Amino acid sequence: MRDKRKSAPQGLNIIIVGAGKVGYNLVEQLSREGHDITIIDQDPVRIQDITNLYDVMGYVGNGASYTTQKEAGIADADLIIAVTDSDELNLLCCTIARQFEGCASIARVRTPDYSREVGYLREKLGLALIINPELEAAREMARVLYLPTALEVNSFAHGQAEMVKFKIPEGNILDGMSVAQLGADITNDILICGVERGGEVNIPSGNFVLKAGDLISVVSTRKGSKYFLNAVGFNTKQVKNAMLVGGGRSAYYLAEQLLHAGISVKIIEKDRERCEKLTTLLPRAIIINGDGSNPDLLKEEGIEEAEAFVPMTGIDEENVVLTLHAKQVSKAKIITKINRLGFSNVFNNMDLGSVIYPKYITSETIIAYVRARTAASGSKIETLYHLFDMRAEAIEFKVTEESEVTGIPLRDLKLRSNLLISFIFREGQLIIPTGGDIIRTNDTVMIVTTNTGFNDIKDILK
Amino acid sequence: MNLPMIRYILSQIMRIEGAFMLLPCIVALCYGEKEGVIYLITAAALIAIGMIGCAFKPSNTMIYMKEGCISTALSWILLSVCGSIPFVITGEIPSFVDALFETVSGFTTTGASILPDVESLTHTSLFWRSFTHWLGGMGVLVFLLAVIPMSGGSNINLMRAESPGPSVGKLVPKIGATARILYKIYLAMTVVEIVFLLAGGMPVFDSLCLSFGTAGTGGFGIKSDSFASYSAYTQWVVAIFMLLFGINFNAYYYILMHQIKRAFTMEEVKAYLAMIASAVAVIFISIADKYEHAFTALTHAFFQVTSITSSTGYASADFDLWPTIAKYVLVIMMFVGACAGSTGGGFKVSRILILLKTIRKELSSYIHPKIVRKVNMDGKPVEHDVIRAINVYLITFVSVLMVSVFVLAIEGYDLESTFTAVLACLNNIGPGLSLVGPTCNYGFLSSLSKFILMFDMLAGRLELFPMLILFHPNLYKGAIEAARRRKSIG
Repeated sequence: MRDKRKSAPQGLNIIIVGAGKVGYNLVEQLSREGHDITIIDQDPVRIQDITNLYDVMGYVGNGASYTTQKEAGIADADLIIAVTDSDELNLLCCTIARQFEGCASIARVRTPDYSREVGYLREKLGLALIINPELEAAREMARVLYLPTALEVNSFAHGQAEMVKFKIPEGNILDGMSVAQLGADITNDILICGVERGGEVNIPSGNFVLKAGDLISVVSTRKGSKYFLNAVGFNTKQVKNAMLVGGGRSAYYLAEQLLHAGISVKIIEKDRERCEKLTTLLPRAIIINGDGSNPDLLKEEGIEEAEAFVPMTGIDEENVVLTLHAKQVSKAKIITKINRLGFSNVFNNMDLGSVIYPKYITSETIIAYVRARTAASGSKIETLYHLFDMRAEAIEFKVTEESEVTGIPLRDLKLRSNLLISFIFREGQLIIPTGGDIIRTNDTVMIVTTNTGFNDIKDILK
Repeated sequence: MNLPMIRYILSQIMRIEGAFMLLPCIVALCYGEKEGVIYLITAAALIAIGMIGCAFKPSNTMIYMKEGCISTALSWILLSVCGSIPFVITGEIPSFVDALFETVSGFTTTGASILPDVESLTHTSLFWRSFTHWLGGMGVLVFLLAVIPMSGGSNINLMRAESPGPSVGKLVPKIGATARILYKIYLAMTVVEIVFLLAGGMPVFDSLCLSFGTAGTGGFGIKSDSFASYSAYTQWVVAIFMLLFGINFNAYYYILMHQIKRAFTMEEVKAYLAMIASAVAVIFISIADKYEHAFTALTHAFFQVTSITSSTGYASADFDLWPTIAKYVLVIMMFVGACAGSTGGGFKVSRILILLKTIRKELSSYIHPKIVRKVNMDGKPVEHDVIRAINVYLITFVSVLMVSVFVLAIEGYDLESTFTAVLACLNNIGPGLSLVGPTCNYGFLSSLSKFILMFDMLAGRLELFPMLILFHPNLYKGAIEAARRRKSIG
């Protein structure tokens, strides 16, 4: 049954439950990728807004009700994505949808109580995917704090490889160096897969010359990127302590990760009750009950000495102000969490340093899954990241069978333009490919491209 | 305002109209009529101008409600002006105002004619005249959405402005696919009707033209006496199809999707059918003694009721001679009109239903002042906004009606003619009563009255607001300022 649906080239039938921020973002991206989308929400105003803006069908009702799901066409749907505010409702939606054969389900589950049981829930309730944006955001923040020079760190191949984004400062030895020269002089174990200069994103070739002020993304193994950053004169030590403002769910997840890595954590939270809960959950962290947007309190708690400062309140404006304040008074590594997406152009122009958008992270995971479903056969998307404010994509494919791209030296493949094969991961080894390398089955291949809509490894060919 | 996008849509419309104008050229070839050359030249000109206008696709393709309404209104005006050109050049309708009236009446599927003698037209022009009904019935912008892939979801605003009914829903998530489904159902039903008419021994040309008129619920006949001279079989076939084209197309989609139960539980469809049945019964009783056979009376009653209710306007008998009660029932049906989401015009059954339900709600709030109650439709609560919009629609409808009647009254004809002329045009029916009755035409009116009626036809077809918004001063302020700013920069 599933195979019959896959043959339809025009995309999947997807039902999204919950027209909140994530729902909105998913609608935007998935409708752009050509899928047929129905969105269900209880609030008619939200449905009205979303159907005015995007070519999707709106449906007002409770997404967890059998009747609503049926009327919204779940019988023909390939996928249901539940992203309402309530974890329980999301799980219920997916459980109800499970009786319809051929409809996979994705639920957003955020509460820490459940997140430890993700594996169990997924198996028992028959879900395709459980996403936890707060946890993913915390992981991404933690990766940046392990390597504070970086603006962004994305991990691939189950953590074996990572992509590090950083800015080339004035007077760095990379200034004026060509990509080929870099390979010869410094190290061959890394690959530059994207450069942003003056708002333009390039996928550089060997004779591309780097300049100060460029934002570059580098792919390598963990060790490789540390070595490279050291060699070009960056500090690669992880931070020793971190100060978090706001004690929400993502703060909890982040603190847990950091404490695990031996970084001491201080959380400032307004709500007394929440503080008490946090201190039970995180006995090793210092929990301060106070207003994190008060500069005196921050000073008292030692913002000047903090090595990392992460404002993660629920209000974007407050986070941005705190970031700007921290930039003036301390040398700490700062990560700003932005919840709303509409003003990303404003935030991009503000030079805030590292910015994390939890909503993007959610949709990246889901889109990776959807694209993998759309793919005919022969390969599967493992992970997908949007780079440079969605102007480029990094996609990791698992090659499962022989095809036009396997067994042929890369230099003989007719690749599309604006595309780069960044690494091949084979039997625990990371290969930074040259023209002579070939792709084999069971390899994991990562590509970076400014094109969009890749579903299958074969899409890299012209 | 996104002027480049409006320009782009208008150009596409010209191109589509040009392409459709090639059809009468084929008719001209079959009948060897030299007027075909004029149609060919007009078509070529329209396609050429359209091509030039479409050459540069605007970078910003966003269409908000405002742009949707304006481009719809302008499209329909442009469509009518361009469509009337061949009538003037061939000299068949020498006066431009008359030709425009005829074309507006065609595209809006009104079927009000200014021609005293329809049979004197060439086959080519008759075909084009009837074909405007078919194109206008489902809507030319819906056609545009069906054939031209337009990116972005904001195009729903185009469809919303053109489709009849209080709230426009999609059948499937993508608007292009929805528009294609609608046109497929429409085309299939038209073809079935043509086949039925051919089976009854009607010539090909007649069955094509009459089917176009029925499908779009238009009402241009190709004979001076409209339908009186056709056989009872033909009259029944056409009457049944008029009934069918007045039903909400969602019902047909549900039937296609094997949800037959859902189609027949739609309250609007049930109300529409019940309303027609009772109207037929009343008229049948009142006219039964006028005809020799009861069956003839039934045929005429059924034909007239479906024709007026679906806003088609074919006439199998001169209903102007019927008793007052029969005429009054027809006037009520003129006002109510067909279902939302059909090709028919009028105030729409669903709006009337909702308004009637608000009466019940209001009454119960007199008995229980604190009662909380929502109006339901198909088992779902109707949002307050929808009810508000219907109330405003009603008052706007009445205002437009009143003002138009006032202007026509200046001419000094009797009240019945004046009032029903406006009512028949605003509801896209066609024939009214007395001087504008089924055997008469609108040719005797002054140019001013004709322009008013043209406006009424367009306003009625596009559900009032897209046409009225053209008169809103703020619309032009923005545009003029933008133009001035551009000039000062350049």
